[in-house]
Amino acid sequence: MFLQQLINALTIGSLYALTAMGATLIYGILGILDIANAGAYLVGAYVGWYIFHATGSIVLAFIGSMALVGLGGVVLQRTVYSPILAKPRTLSIIPLVAAVGLFTMSSDAVRLICGAGTKAYNLKFPVMVYKFTVFGKKLTIQPAWIMIFVLTAVLLFILWFILNRTKLGLAWRATAEDAEIAGVCGVNTSYAMALSYILGYGFAAAAGIMTGILYNSITPALGEVPSYKMLAIIVLGGLGNPLGTVIAGLLIGIAEVFLSVYFNLPIPKDAIAFVVLIIMLLIKPSGLLGRKNKV
Amino acid sequence: MLEIRDLNVSYGMMEVLHGISLKVEDKELVSVIGPNGAGKSTLIKTIMGIVKPKSGTVTYDGQDLTKMSSFQRAQLGIGYVPEGRRVFGRLSVEDNLKMGAYAVKDKERLKKNISRVYEIFPRLGERSRQLAGTMSGGEQQMLAIGRALMLDPKLLLIDEVSMGLMPIMVNTCFQVIKELNDEGITILVVEQNANKALKVADRGYVLETGNIVLTDTAENLRSNEMVRSAYLG
Repeated sequence: MFLQQLINALTIGSLYALTAMGATLIYGILGILDIANAGAYLVGAYVGWYIFHATGSIVLAFIGSMALVGLGGVVLQRTVYSPILAKPRTLSIIPLVAAVGLFTMSSDAVRLICGAGTKAYNLKFPVMVYKFTVFGKKLTIQPAWIMIFVLTAVLLFILWFILNRTKLGLAWRATAEDAEIAGVCGVNTSYAMALSYILGYGFAAAAGIMTGILYNSITPALGEVPSYKMLAIIVLGGLGNPLGTVIAGLLIGIAEVFLSVYFNLPIPKDAIAFVVLIIMLLIKPSGLLGRKNKV
Repeated sequence: MLEIRDLNVSYGMMEVLHGISLKVEDKELVSVIGPNGAGKSTLIKTIMGIVKPKSGTVTYDGQDLTKMSSFQRAQLGIGYVPEGRRVFGRLSVEDNLKMGAYAVKDKERLKKNISRVYEIFPRLGERSRQLAGTMSGGEQQMLAIGRALMLDPKLLLIDEVSMGLMPIMVNTCFQVIKELNDEGITILVVEQNANKALKVADRGYVLETGNIVLTDTAENLRSNEMVRSAYLG
């Protein structure tokens, strides 16, 4: 039972981590809370659905949706966020309001274009359920969970590799710490911003598709819960810290599953992330791996 | 090599530099001295493209820099040692140096430059894997200079190198600056510590509340009555 719940929790948690990663990467470089990431998650799930049903290939659906949504992110960065941030003395609430607007627009655009009803991925795996017996306990694993684990691990490894083992990643980390000085060192900081959006929106799109496969349904409301839960996760992880986001995502997944299974909580499951966040803020306001205010 | 003409810079409503002109010739070491708040850092930041001027031009090596971004100026070979050091505290010493050479494409040159910086500052070589944020102020200042040298700069801009350092470190830094200039790097230093800055420089400018009030050879400035009473005390 415990092991079964843990597997459930980690599956959900890795989806959370992947969904929130975009917001973390974008906060790391631009210092803004980009709620529109949840729009990328929603649109990604729909674009993936159309590609999958047109071509029959789920691999193409992932690649195509991640690429299109990632590029869309760069377009938004160039046309919306960067111009706002370029104005002198922009209040930090302004890009946030723009992001909320973009997210609302994306939900309604999906509703108008794709219809308000539910769409099913109906992805067929060769085996729909694996049953094991471990330590005398029965254990079920769905292939969709394995896919989520593996794909999340691969994507996060790619992210880790880019950030820690490439020149572009070094430039990203330097820009996140001090964009002005990174520029003076010869970094075109708009590339670091574009990297954040391509990876961030691409990851959100992948998470959207995986959610669609896991629950076998997508609706235009798909992005609503992530749009606020994402905030709890990135703040919990320590704003702008990718590793912190992974840990926070898994932690929220674990907290949600175990608290709702073992305790009869008087609050909805989706509120648990915020309870965890409030406790965290009382203990360590900078988050799990957060640093004190940067200069 | 560097020519600034009629530079006006404002922060919002407040004008900080009022039509400044100055020149740095090839292989020269020029110091700009002046009190806190005179606009020295603003001057250097404008040359580096961090601050945009309201009017006036910055010309380097015959090219107009005025419309270029910071990263393009770095690619032209302008190195910058910022006020307050501003090393990347979460990166290792070596990664800081690699960042300094971001515009350098040649890997051999990158390696050569790293070993050269370690030669100038052996201390950095000993700590190549340490996070820059955990080092002392003096070591961070060495790193900030080293980072700027990674570019093989033709022109080096140095902002308040002495700030917050122990006197012995200040001497080391100015000695290094002098040696770099002897090697052929053109250097512009802005500095509150007028005594040290004028000792190593060929020429100097005195900047007060956004205007250049005096310019001469460093030697003449050191014996100038006004400079002596106001800055050399």
